[in-house]
Amino acid sequence: MRHDPRMTDPITIAVLQNRLSAIAEEMGEAMLRTAYSQILNSSRDFSIALIDAQCRLVAQADHIPVHVGAMPWAAKALSARFPDPSPGDVYLLNDPYRGGSHLPDLTVFVPVFAGPTLMFWSVVRAHHSDIGGATHGAYNPAATEIWHEGLRLPPMRLTENGVLREDLLEMLALNVRHPRDFRGDLAAQIGSARLGEQRLNAVIQEFGAETLAASIEAMLDAAERHARQIVSEWADGEYLGEAVLDDDGFDKTNIVIRARVIKKGSDITVDLTESDPQVTGFINSSHANTQSAVAMAFAFMLDPDIAKNDGAFRPLTVKLKEGTIVWAHEGAPVTMCTSHCSNEIIEAIIVALAQAAPERAMGGWGRRLRIALNGTDPRTGRRFIWHMFQARPGGGGSVAGDGYSTIGEWHSAGGIKFGSIEVAETRFPLVFETHEYRLGSGGAGLHRGGDGGDMRLRIEAAGTTMANTAGEGVVHGARGINGGQDGAPHDYTLLAPGAAARKLKSKEINVPVPSGSVIHVRSGGGGGWGRQPPIDPVPEATGAKAP
Amino acid sequence: MSYTIGIDVGGTFTDIVVSAPGGNTIIAKAATTPADQSDGVLNGIGLAADRLAMTAGDLLRATTRIVHGTTVATNALLEGKVARTGMLTTAGHRDVIEMREGLKPDRYNLRMTPPRPLVPRDLRLPVTERIRSDGSIGIPLDTTSLDAAIDTLRDANVQSVAICFLHSWRNPAHEHQAAAAVRDRLPGIYVTTSFDVLPQIKEFERFSTTVANAAVGPVIQNYLGRLQSRLRDAGYGGELLVILSHGGVASVAEATRLAAGTALSGPAGGVAAAVALVRDGLSPNIIGFDMGGTSTDIAVVRNGQPNLSGDKAVGGARIALPSLDIVTLGAGGGSIGKLDRSGLLAVGPESAGAVPGPACYGQGGSGATVTDANLVLGYLDPANFLGGRRRLDLDAATAVVAKLAADLGIETADAAAGIHRVVNSRMADGVRIATVRRGVDPRGYTLLAFGGAAGLHITAVAAELGIAHVAVPIAASVLSAWGMLNTDLRVELSRSQGQSGSLDTTGLRSAFAAMEDEGRARLSWFDGEVALRRSADMRYGEQVFEIPVPLDDVDWEAPTLAADLANRFHAAHESLYTYALRDQEVVLVNARLSVIGRLPAVERGAADLAVTSAAPKAHRRIYLGAWIEVPVFDFLTLAAQQRIPGPAIIESDTTTVLLRTGDTACFDARGWLDVTIDHQPRPA
Repeated sequence: MRHDPRMTDPITIAVLQNRLSAIAEEMGEAMLRTAYSQILNSSRDFSIALIDAQCRLVAQADHIPVHVGAMPWAAKALSARFPDPSPGDVYLLNDPYRGGSHLPDLTVFVPVFAGPTLMFWSVVRAHHSDIGGATHGAYNPAATEIWHEGLRLPPMRLTENGVLREDLLEMLALNVRHPRDFRGDLAAQIGSARLGEQRLNAVIQEFGAETLAASIEAMLDAAERHARQIVSEWADGEYLGEAVLDDDGFDKTNIVIRARVIKKGSDITVDLTESDPQVTGFINSSHANTQSAVAMAFAFMLDPDIAKNDGAFRPLTVKLKEGTIVWAHEGAPVTMCTSHCSNEIIEAIIVALAQAAPERAMGGWGRRLRIALNGTDPRTGRRFIWHMFQARPGGGGSVAGDGYSTIGEWHSAGGIKFGSIEVAETRFPLVFETHEYRLGSGGAGLHRGGDGGDMRLRIEAAGTTMANTAGEGVVHGARGINGGQDGAPHDYTLLAPGAAARKLKSKEINVPVPSGSVIHVRSGGGGGWGRQPPIDPVPEATGAKAP
Repeated sequence: MSYTIGIDVGGTFTDIVVSAPGGNTIIAKAATTPADQSDGVLNGIGLAADRLAMTAGDLLRATTRIVHGTTVATNALLEGKVARTGMLTTAGHRDVIEMREGLKPDRYNLRMTPPRPLVPRDLRLPVTERIRSDGSIGIPLDTTSLDAAIDTLRDANVQSVAICFLHSWRNPAHEHQAAAAVRDRLPGIYVTTSFDVLPQIKEFERFSTTVANAAVGPVIQNYLGRLQSRLRDAGYGGELLVILSHGGVASVAEATRLAAGTALSGPAGGVAAAVALVRDGLSPNIIGFDMGGTSTDIAVVRNGQPNLSGDKAVGGARIALPSLDIVTLGAGGGSIGKLDRSGLLAVGPESAGAVPGPACYGQGGSGATVTDANLVLGYLDPANFLGGRRRLDLDAATAVVAKLAADLGIETADAAAGIHRVVNSRMADGVRIATVRRGVDPRGYTLLAFGGAAGLHITAVAAELGIAHVAVPIAASVLSAWGMLNTDLRVELSRSQGQSGSLDTTGLRSAFAAMEDEGRARLSWFDGEVALRRSADMRYGEQVFEIPVPLDDVDWEAPTLAADLANRFHAAHESLYTYALRDQEVVLVNARLSVIGRLPAVERGAADLAVTSAAPKAHRRIYLGAWIEVPVFDFLTLAAQQRIPGPAIIESDTTTVLLRTGDTACFDARGWLDVTIDHQPRPA
C-alpha cells in the first residue's frame, strides 16, 4: 500500500516520525530504570520496537542492534498464533523456532488499538540472566539439543481479561534460577510495553488513526527512498563473501558462512543457502536471528542516521535454507547465535559488499570469547561467579580512519561496558596485573584495525577455581577489508604455578585454576581497511610519531 | 552603598547584570571576545557603568562581589586547545582513559574513529607501583621508574601533569610521593593527583576527571589570573568568585585547583536563577528551558533543589565531579531546516552557528534556520532585534525559506510554520525524555524560558507536553548572569568507603569529620555563616548503579546508625523505583559533604510598575495557520496583574514572547510573565 498524499503533509509526517522515535526511547528509559538484573540495567541488553498490525517495524530505539531486525519475525509468529488480540492483553515468547532468537531473550508484546482495530504492537525484548536448563545463564557449550539450554516459551497470552495470570507467572518463575530477578525484569518489560501503549493511544487520539496510518506509510516510503538512493550508488554485480567459525566444540572445525550477494539497481539479495550444514553445538542460528544479522549488516552499510524502519529494509531480500548453520532444524541448540554465528554472518556480507561499495565497508570487528570463573573468596568464605567483560577485541578500520581499540564485537558495537577494575578487585579475589592495549594486534592497512586487549589476571581465590569459556575467534581473526590485513586472533593462556602454560580453547567447561594462577588474555584485533601504502625507503626526518 | 555584578560569557554575548543599592537591576550586553574573554567582560562592565551614569572605575570601587560564569574551560575542551599534559600512572594500566570502559556512542555508526584522548599514549607514562584493593601496598613505588618517567615529561616540555594510580582512593601515599617528586623536579608545572580531584573508587571516572583537570588547569589559571588583575587594576577590591559546575561559587584559587569543575560554569548560572525564582515564589518545580543558537539546555529543579549528577562529559572528556544535571539538545535558533535524504523535513542538528548565523543576519548564511522561519512568520520584528542594534534582513530570510518550500511543494509561510513546528516538537520530545529519565512527570512543572528566543517556542512546547504553566522572566535574555547574583560559596567533597558489605559506621564518621575539616579549611578566608549538607551514594549489594541518599538530619551518635542509614536508602530506592528489598545487603559507596558559605542576598527593590494596564504599542501581522493581525505589547510597560490573552506578542529589547490562541499571560510584579496554557489537543 502506498500512502495517499492527500491525507497528510510533510510537516505532520516529520513530527510523527520524531514522536514515534521518542516513544521508543522513553520506553527504553523506563526499562532501564525499573529492570532489576545487572545485565539489563548495566549492560543494557534489551531493545524496544513499535511494530504495526502488518508486522512491520515502524520505530525503534538504538539499543542492541542484533535484537531489532528480529522483532518483526517475532510479531509474525505471535500474530499467526493469536490473530485476534484484545485491548489489555499481554503476550510473551522466546522459542527460537517460534519467532524468538535464543532462549534467554524474552519478548513481551502489548497490542494497541484504534477503536476496534489493531494498530500497533508495543514490543520489549530483554536478555534474562537465567532461563533454566543445564547451566547457569543459558550459555552451555556442552548442549547438543535445545532442551539442554532452558525453558521454551511459544507465543503465549499472559493475561485473562486484561489481568496477568499469576499461575502462569509462577510456573515460569519456578523454572529459572533467579525467580525474583526474573519476575522483576518481566514486570519491567510489561510496564515499559504498557507505557508504549499509553503513549501511542495519545498519538492516535491527537492525530487520528487515518492521519497516523497515512503518515506511517509515508515514513516507511521515505526510509525506503533513502536506502534505495544509497544502494543505487553501489556497483551492480554478484559478490561472494565468506567468514569462518573456529569450531562447534564437538567434531566440526572451520565452519563456513557463505554469502552470495546480488546487487542490481537499488535491490540487494543476500543468499546464505551455500553456508555449511548445521552443527552439533550451540553456534547454530535460528531463522529470526539470521534475518536480524543480515538486516544489521545492511544497516551498517547504510547511513547511521537512516530511519531504521521496515522501509529501510525493503531493498533487501534474504534467501536461507533450513538445515544449514544459519537456519537449524527445530531442536538444535542455538544459544550462542546472537554472538556466533551472527558475527560471521555480518562479516561474510560485509566482505561481499566491500566489492560493491568499498568506501562503505569496514574492517572486521572482533569475536566474543567469554570466561566465567566459579570459586570461593578467601576473604569471606563465600562462593562467587565472575563473568569477564574486560580485554575486549578491537573494532575494524574504516574510510574514516583507524578502528577503536578494545571496543567489542560486530553484534554489540561498543554498547557493552566492562566496568571498573577497582570495583572488580574489591568484590572478587582477583588482581588485574595488567589491562592495556595489545599493541600490534589490529590488522595493518591504510587505516589500521583497533587493537585488542592484553590482560594478566591473577586469581587469588581459595583452593581451585573452575573456569568455563564460550565463544569464538581463537583460530580466525577479524577480517581485513579492501586489502587491509586481518586482526590477530585471540590467544588465551592459563599460567598455573609450577605447571606448563596451557592454551585455552573457545568452548571448554570446568578447567581447574589453582590459586595464584594467572590467566593471560590477549584478545583479537580489528581488521584493517585498505592497502597499507609501501613504506618510503627514505623516511622523512620528522613527522607525527605513532601513538 | 554597594553593588553586586554577575558576568556570564556566552558564545556570542557577554551578559552583565548589576544589582544596585536599593534593588535596581541593570543589564548590559557586550560582544564576547573569544581571543581573551576578559576584554568582553571589561567592555560589558563599562556599558553597565554608562547606564548607571558612572565610570567603570567608580562602579568597580563600589562593588563588593563579582560572580563570573566562564566558558574558558568548556571551549578549551571542545576545541582541544588545552595545556600540553603528561600523565603518571600505574604500570600495566596506561590506557584507562582511552579505553573508556569499552563504550562508543552511535551504535549503528561503524565508520567513525575513536576520540583523541587528552593525553596521548607516549605521554602516559608507567610507574612501577601497586596499591591493593584494601589499601595495602602490593608493590612499593619504584623511584627509578618514577624518575625516568619525569625525565620523559621534562623532555616533552609538558605544562601540566596528572598523577593517577590505581586504588589511590583507598591509599594516596604513592600519588603524594609522586606529586612531591614532580613539583621538586619540574618547578612551576601544574600538578594534580586523582586523590585530590576525586577520591572515589572507579578508575575511569577518577583518571579521566584528573586528566581533564590537568589539561584545563593552566588555561584557567592564566585566564582567571589575568581577569582578576585587570579588575583589580580597574578598581575592584573584592574577591572574584567563579561559579562552578555544581552551581556554587568559589574563589579564583579554588577554581584553579579544581579547574575541571568550571566545565559547566556557563549554564550553571541559569540553574541558580531558577532556584532563586523558586525562592521568589515561582512554583517549586521548574524545568529550565534555555534555548540558544545551536542547542537548548534543559534542567530540572525539584522542590527548589537542582539535581547533581556525576556523569557529565565535555568535548568527549569525562568529568565525574558533581555537576548540575543539565541535558543539552542539539536544536536551537540557528538549527537549519532541510530535506533529509529520505525527503522528509528535518530541523538540525546542523546549525548555522554564530558565523555565518541565520540568513537574516546578512552574514552569508544560506540555510533556512529556525530564526529565519520566526522572522518570516512575523514573530520577530526586523527593526527591533536586540533593541534595534541588529537589523534583521526579512528578504534574505524569505528567500532561503522559499527555496525549502519549493523543495517541499508548499507555500513559503507553511514551510516556515513547518520549521517552527518541527523544532518545537523535537524540543518537546527532548524535554520529555530528559525529565522521564529522571523520574519526573513534566506535567506538574512550570516551564521557565531563558534566552531571547525561548519565548517564541515555549508555549507550543508546553502544550505538546501537557504543561499548564510557563514563566518568562523580564530578565530572560540574561537570566544566567542574574542567577549568579543569587549563589553561595560551595565546596563539594566525597570519599569512597570500603566495599565490604556491612556499613562501617566508625569509618563513615571519620570520613565525614575529615571532609568537614578539609571543607572548612578551603573556606578559611570566608568569615560568614557555614552550613553542611551530608549525603551518600548507596546501592544494594548486587546492583551496579548507586543512588544519592540525603543524610541531613541523621543522628550520627545513635547506636542504630547503621540501620538508620539503611532505612533511608530503602526509602529513597522505593520512591525512585517503586520497590525496596529490605532483606538485601546495603552498600555505601561514597560519602559526600557539601560545605556551603552563605553569601548575603542581593537587595530586591519593588519595581517601579505601571498602575494602569498598558495598551498595545503596535499591531503586527503574524502567521498562525493563517495571516492574522495581533497586538504587540511592550514587556517593560506592563502593569502588575495585567492579563493578555493570545494571540499576541509581548516584547522587550532582548526578549520576545509569542502567545497563541488559548494562551493567557498575566504579568507578575515579582518580575515574570506567567502564561497559562490551555491544552486542548492542537490541530495537526
